[in-house]
Amino acid sequence: MMVHQYKNNGYNIVLDVNSGSVHVVDDIVYDMIPMYEDKSLEEISTELAGRYTAEDIREAYEEITELKDAGSLFTEDIYENYIDSFKNRQPVVKALCLHIAHDCNLACQYCFAEEGEYHGRRALMSFEVGKKALDFLVANSGSRRNLEVDFFGGEPLMNWEVVKQLVEYGRSIEEANNKKFRFTLTTNGVLLNDEILEFVNREMGNIVLSTDGRKEVHDRMRPFRNGKGSYDLIMPKFKKVAESRNQTNYYVRGTFTHYNLDFSNDVLSLADQGFKQISVEPVVASPEDGYALRTEDLPQIFEEYDKLAVEMIKREKEGRGFNFFHFMIDLTGGPCVYKRLSGCGSGTEYLAVTPWGDLYPCHQFVGNEDFLLGNVDDGIVKKNICEEFKQCNVYSKPKCKDCFAKLFCSGGCAANSYNFHGNINDSYEVGCEMERKRVECAIMIKAALADEDEE
Amino acid sequence: MKHVKTINTRNLKESMKKGGCGECQTSCQSACKTSCTVGNQSCENK
Repeated sequence: MMVHQYKNNGYNIVLDVNSGSVHVVDDIVYDMIPMYEDKSLEEISTELAGRYTAEDIREAYEEITELKDAGSLFTEDIYENYIDSFKNRQPVVKALCLHIAHDCNLACQYCFAEEGEYHGRRALMSFEVGKKALDFLVANSGSRRNLEVDFFGGEPLMNWEVVKQLVEYGRSIEEANNKKFRFTLTTNGVLLNDEILEFVNREMGNIVLSTDGRKEVHDRMRPFRNGKGSYDLIMPKFKKVAESRNQTNYYVRGTFTHYNLDFSNDVLSLADQGFKQISVEPVVASPEDGYALRTEDLPQIFEEYDKLAVEMIKREKEGRGFNFFHFMIDLTGGPCVYKRLSGCGSGTEYLAVTPWGDLYPCHQFVGNEDFLLGNVDDGIVKKNICEEFKQCNVYSKPKCKDCFAKLFCSGGCAANSYNFHGNINDSYEVGCEMERKRVECAIMIKAALADEDEE
Repeated sequence: MKHVKTINTRNLKESMKKGGCGECQTSCQSACKTSCTVGNQSCENK
């Protein structure tokens, strides 16, 4: 049983964690909820008597009781009892991150792939390796129909011919296997041209365009190898991509760091450039990196999220709204509880493939030999590592148990946990704090816009 | 209700009955490659 209540932007919000219900309440209900389960109506009345009338107290009490009886407040956690059957599920692979090029034409300061090389050597994936990867995916996907393949790097456009060949190969095996590939591409835009764009728009369900927002921020973190910034080259192309896809099924995606803690300005800079699908995410870095986010940065980061949320509501009401990936929350059509318990699927449903065909639990683990799972020829060899990832869920992480956001983030990123604590069942606290704040903002936005609908 | 306005949400308990098909998008394939966000994925089996 878990209820999370908070105030944001003038709204009193109550989240019933286990049912997923969200209530916007007045002050009296807000004040009464924390005492409702432990105290009688008489005791509550005595405590609140100075602040509210007897009639209001009785009414509020009845309404809380009604919510409880309807299963939308103080709901018990029944999911933990089902976790064993969930852990024993038959594993299937349904998504691959293909590292089509371990090389890059930029030298981004914060790159976890170390300029595309992932602590290894420069390499391009051959068509043969890629083909085996797609065959491996089809063979291990069981009854799943939708299969996802992301062309990732380094910079995948440095190996564009192979990307095209693999898309064609993938399409050629769809029908016979009753599968549907969803291809996506993540690019820095340097090599983007009209021919590539035409192909992408025909074949790819999503394209992620890397940019950090304001020119000075972008150019500081995303220079060419000669130190020159890349903003002026890529920005016109990104606008063209967005327009050519009717402002949907793409993201401009940035990273914010300790150097641009005022990142709401970067999000708004992208919105002002006309982009409608925006994602700007906190950097994940070792504490010794100068650009790493620190615990003491959190108050400012929270303020930025609040500022952004308020501005987004304003723009939405003015008819010029945009999507911010981390505030997107699908309260009515979101994922089922199984998905929410199982998390991102790294090491089970989702694997990364290196240019030479090695398999890793996800792109963040590539290059760490301890997590080498196998390869596209032999399949998964180290089944024990996959087993460890399979056991990973919100109930296996002590820090998640009492967290109100656990059914929104599903236990967070295994790689973050590993980087900070040396095991995948822990949590990255700074990341958790930010995630909780984002969930609060996202729900507040829903409440504010629901308010608008009624007016 | 006078004191409470409930926002329309999917009942998570109900989602146990008809959930778990696994067809929805993998979270790191959408936009994030550094942080797990599952709550914003859409259900493919409504």
